Amino acid sequence: MPTVMELYKLLPKTNCKKCGESTCMAFAVALLSRKKKVSECTPIIEEMFKKDREKLESLLLPSSGAGETGMIVHTELCTGCSNCVVACPVDVANDPRGAGTGGAPTNDKVIFRVVDGKVVASNIKECRRFGKNRVLCYACIDPCPTGAIEFV
Amino acid sequence: MITCTGCSLLCDDIDVVIENHRIKEVRNACRRGAAKLKGCRNRLRPSIDQTPADIDTSIKRAALILKNARSPMLYGWSNSTCEAQSNGIKLAKKLNAIIDDTSSFCQGLLIEKVLKKKFRACSLDDVKNKADVLVYWGSDAQDSQPRHLSRFSYFPRGESRQRGYEEDRIAIAIDVRESNTAKICKGHFYRIPLKGDREFILSLTGALSGKVPKHDAKRILELADIMKKAEFGAIFVGIGLTYSIKDDVDILVALGDMLPNFHILPMVGHYNMRGFNEALFKETGFVNRVRFDSTAVHENKYAIVEALKQKSIDALLVTGSDPLSCLPGSMISYLASIPVICIDPCVTLTSKISKITIPSAVSGIESGGSAVRMDGKVIELSGIVENNYLADTEILSRIMEEL
Amino acid sequence: MGIDVGKFLKSPEFEIAITTYRDIFQVEALEYDRFGEEYRKLSAVIIMSREDMKKMGIKTGDRVKLINDHGSIVVEARESKREEPGGIAFMVNSPWSSALVSDDTGGKGIPEFKNITARISLTKNDISSLENLIFNSGEVEKNER
Repeated sequence: MPTVMELYKLLPKTNCKKCGESTCMAFAVALLSRKKKVSECTPIIEEMFKKDREKLESLLLPSSGAGETGMIVHTELCTGCSNCVVACPVDVANDPRGAGTGGAPTNDKVIFRVVDGKVVASNIKECRRFGKNRVLCYACIDPCPTGAIEFV
Repeated sequence: MITCTGCSLLCDDIDVVIENHRIKEVRNACRRGAAKLKGCRNRLRPSIDQTPADIDTSIKRAALILKNARSPMLYGWSNSTCEAQSNGIKLAKKLNAIIDDTSSFCQGLLIEKVLKKKFRACSLDDVKNKADVLVYWGSDAQDSQPRHLSRFSYFPRGESRQRGYEEDRIAIAIDVRESNTAKICKGHFYRIPLKGDREFILSLTGALSGKVPKHDAKRILELADIMKKAEFGAIFVGIGLTYSIKDDVDILVALGDMLPNFHILPMVGHYNMRGFNEALFKETGFVNRVRFDSTAVHENKYAIVEALKQKSIDALLVTGSDPLSCLPGSMISYLASIPVICIDPCVTLTSKISKITIPSAVSGIESGGSAVRMDGKVIELSGIVENNYLADTEILSRIMEEL
Repeated sequence: MGIDVGKFLKSPEFEIAITTYRDIFQVEALEYDRFGEEYRKLSAVIIMSREDMKKMGIKTGDRVKLINDHGSIVVEARESKREEPGGIAFMVNSPWSSALVSDDTGGKGIPEFKNITARISLTKNDISSLENLIFNSGEVEKNER
């Protein structure tokens, strides 16, 4: 996953505000959290920035295995503890009496479930990092002590 | 839904897919539980003197060894059902044998305090519904009881804890090592030196009564303040703390007495260690290390470790444990020199040196029964996979019949 | 740069404090096959702080001999991935760590599983096998030469 600085260095750094952000730095942050796309930076579309643009796009390319929200589950690190299953606000909302109270999921609407001792993510479009009102949610990452969940 | 026997949480919300008399897929269990439910690669076969034998002959020979022994011991029990444990106690009585379990060098000290009501205890369901301050002390639940935090303590919404863990609960870790549990506790991790628990308890009890601690005063005062303000607190005592204060467990009783809103819960590893402790306690008033004669006598010399060190037993029946994989290495040679009878579903280190091996069904999976969760709640075990193995309970009954 | 033979010949010994812990991956390996390669790989290891390793001239992947009055084992050294204050090393609970645990409990029956002291030095010997630990306690010593 690139850092904000790495992305910023590749931007025009003119703070032109055409993307809707107040500075290029703010745009870099928005790129990283996937709230903005590279194409929303109008100056960088120009030919002279072609190399920078390609570099940016490759940096932001989701790694292999990542879903549409950029989520990767490193199953080899997962202990199957279910902390993410229970802490995910989507799981709590969609299965308040099951996952929400610490138990096994009782329906198919949850994002996380544990199979063979490792977490499996589904219904990924329900993730708060996805869709129109997306937010930079860390609810599944914070309770994981082994770093088994990552967003790229 | 079946019950997992991976650890003493006995999670009873597990789904499995069974194919060809084996569990093919496990849902909702943690990595430890899934491994336990899927079972070992090497099943044990009946043998006498490490030579294949039929199971009936093996059972007969086992009975003969126990009958002829001057001082036999029946040991293990923490991975056995309550029914098998109760049969084991009967067998010990019949043989005038010594009976001991893994709690002897594990959490036995604390379970005894719990059963004698020296600690204020509560159920894990109480923790889920009410607890706002959770202290993991010398315990890495994340690796040993992996769903402890998600099912009962930190992460679930409970009756009086509806808003989620960030707002409703504080988790604290006190440990020598920055364990996975400590990582979750982040700002509330207290690293102590090896064997530093006693001093930490003293500093904490001091701080609770208003004394300024000599070391790390700011953080210990902060901890005392959090604990004092707790509406419903729980201290989960891991084996790290138990070993460290084993010569003076009352210091923990004293800490508990200073914290009227706190509950003390020993963290148990094997799925039914507490079951054995409760059964023996009910029968004799002791949780382990008992010799039956005309009465039940409890002495430290009846602890597995002492009995082997003093070479005072001349036959050993092992079930629901693999002592060779956990006892101090220097004890192995004596253990290997006496006749050992091993009842287990799997090939174990102990079975490799045993005179008699008797394969059993995997309790809780291939045979049903009940077990006692770490907080004392009785949980039914499923026995859902069809098989031709004898349950450990039956094997013990058969040995008794042969006597 | 050739192999520093001198380092091995001298192999200085250091005192080391060891505590044991549980690792879910090792417990998983135990449940599947306690005689398997995976269980050995996850058990026959000592985790040390960067500082301590530097001080003792030990690198991740080096084989080290651990010896005390109760036993002697050869395991792999590995640097801790966590912030460590140093002065203490970690081993998972297993027949390897248990080989170093005293059976003297002062008559109380609870060995000091989590409070081990031993001497550590680099070695060229193979990692102790489970068979070696169970069937020939003490063989490790004899195989030294």
